[in-house]
Amino acid sequence: MVEKQLTRERTSSWSWILQAFTGALLLVLLGLHMVVQHFVVEGGLRDYQQVVEYLSNPFVFLLEVMFLIIVTWHALLGVRAILFDLGLQPATERKVTAILSIVGVITIAYGIWLSATIVAQGA
Amino acid sequence: MKLNLKIYRYKPGSEPHYDTFPVDVPETANVLDAIERAWDDLDRTIMFRHACHHASCGSCGLLVNDQEKLPCVTPVKDYGEGATLKIDPMRNMPVITDLAVDASPIYQRMALIGLPIIRDAETLRADGKEPLPEGLEAFRRFENCLECGLCLSACPVMATDPQFLGPLTLAAAERLLAEPRGVDIERIYRLVDDEHGVWRCHSSFECTEACPYEVYPGEAIMRLKRKVGLRKIKQFFGGA
Amino acid sequence: MEVKPKPVQRKPLEWFNLKGKRVGFWAYVVMRLSAVGLVLYLFLHLVILSQLAVGPAAWDNFVALAKSPAVLLLDVVLIIGILAHGLNGIRLTLIGFGLGVPRQKLMLWIGLILTLVFGVLSALAIFAETK
Repeated sequence: MVEKQLTRERTSSWSWILQAFTGALLLVLLGLHMVVQHFVVEGGLRDYQQVVEYLSNPFVFLLEVMFLIIVTWHALLGVRAILFDLGLQPATERKVTAILSIVGVITIAYGIWLSATIVAQGA
Repeated sequence: MKLNLKIYRYKPGSEPHYDTFPVDVPETANVLDAIERAWDDLDRTIMFRHACHHASCGSCGLLVNDQEKLPCVTPVKDYGEGATLKIDPMRNMPVITDLAVDASPIYQRMALIGLPIIRDAETLRADGKEPLPEGLEAFRRFENCLECGLCLSACPVMATDPQFLGPLTLAAAERLLAEPRGVDIERIYRLVDDEHGVWRCHSSFECTEACPYEVYPGEAIMRLKRKVGLRKIKQFFGGA
Repeated sequence: MEVKPKPVQRKPLEWFNLKGKRVGFWAYVVMRLSAVGLVLYLFLHLVILSQLAVGPAAWDNFVALAKSPAVLLLDVVLIIGILAHGLNGIRLTLIGFGLGVPRQKLMLWIGLILTLVFGVLSALAIFAETK
């Protein structure tokens, strides 16, 4: 039994490297996000008007979308790593990867839609 | 020195439980001596694996108070007069009976890598007086590996993932890539560059803590990660 | 008589067996628990932000709620989680690229100290602002 599990087909993996890479980007992006959204704001949270004005700045919009993509990617890679620790069958692993990819795309699409909606409301 | 040994008991077909054996051993005794005393005087059905009694065969590995130990070189003094020592079989391996485990997870993993420890008496080179083999910047000490399996027992990833190559295999792979001696290194890279190879390690360093012979498998896995990772990145950007 | 070994129990939470473990394992446990917490927080955060699309009143109601002491305390927990995860993440990335491997345990303690120092500082900053 042990032997069959061990002699599974081995395939090249980028997940750890990507996790480290997105993690390193998050140090910068999450840092900027925290500073601009919470630390420099009176009271720690922007009111509606402030959010709209702020997000209408194209550079900030881009920064927040980048943050959204990287943080989602990092989070779902982490969930995937925790699930892969369970020693799943290769077919189940492929399903996990596919489902998490879909969740990631939906999450990022929702985030971009939300940001765009807020900017549009302000215009 | 008086001790209580609370020994894990399992006989096929019955429920696992603990039996406690009071033993009296000399202060200079090791835990394996105490177990043998219990077996000698109190219960001839206690099953445990042992041979050399001096940390060179690697067959007696077990848990003392939930930590991986080679009982043949673990002094009872470490636990003190009157202590109760909880003795369990190694984790992450099937239990045949009592303290004796099915050690095939160790040997199957060594077989995957091709049993690379074939040099004679290399441990003597740790003093740096003799030149190192070509390709090695430093003495790696993998030759010290006893194949006792304590690193596999201590590894938290092994606790849930039977596909994981494990500290022992990955440390052996690192040693082999440092000095391939004609081995097909592409095969080694293919084996370890896998979700359940080098990337599955979460750097808890429990293997290094458990290793009785300073092989430092955790540190070796980190060097292996670097080697495999940088090679992949280079190849991705078109390098050889 | 046929001898059947007792197979290895591989329950999903078997990794969370804390018996006899040492400091490196605790770093791994903290990493994982903070990871799970932060993933849940991420999705909660994204759901709450939908109030912005509902309109000014909905969002400003949430802002009022977010300034209650209970939520601010959760903010401190969040910041400590981010610090612990991020600082240990730096350590794991460095040693994973073979940097500072012999000093991995020192890095672990430095990460812990920085987490506590910045955690306390941020708690002071957050609660100072409510006065």
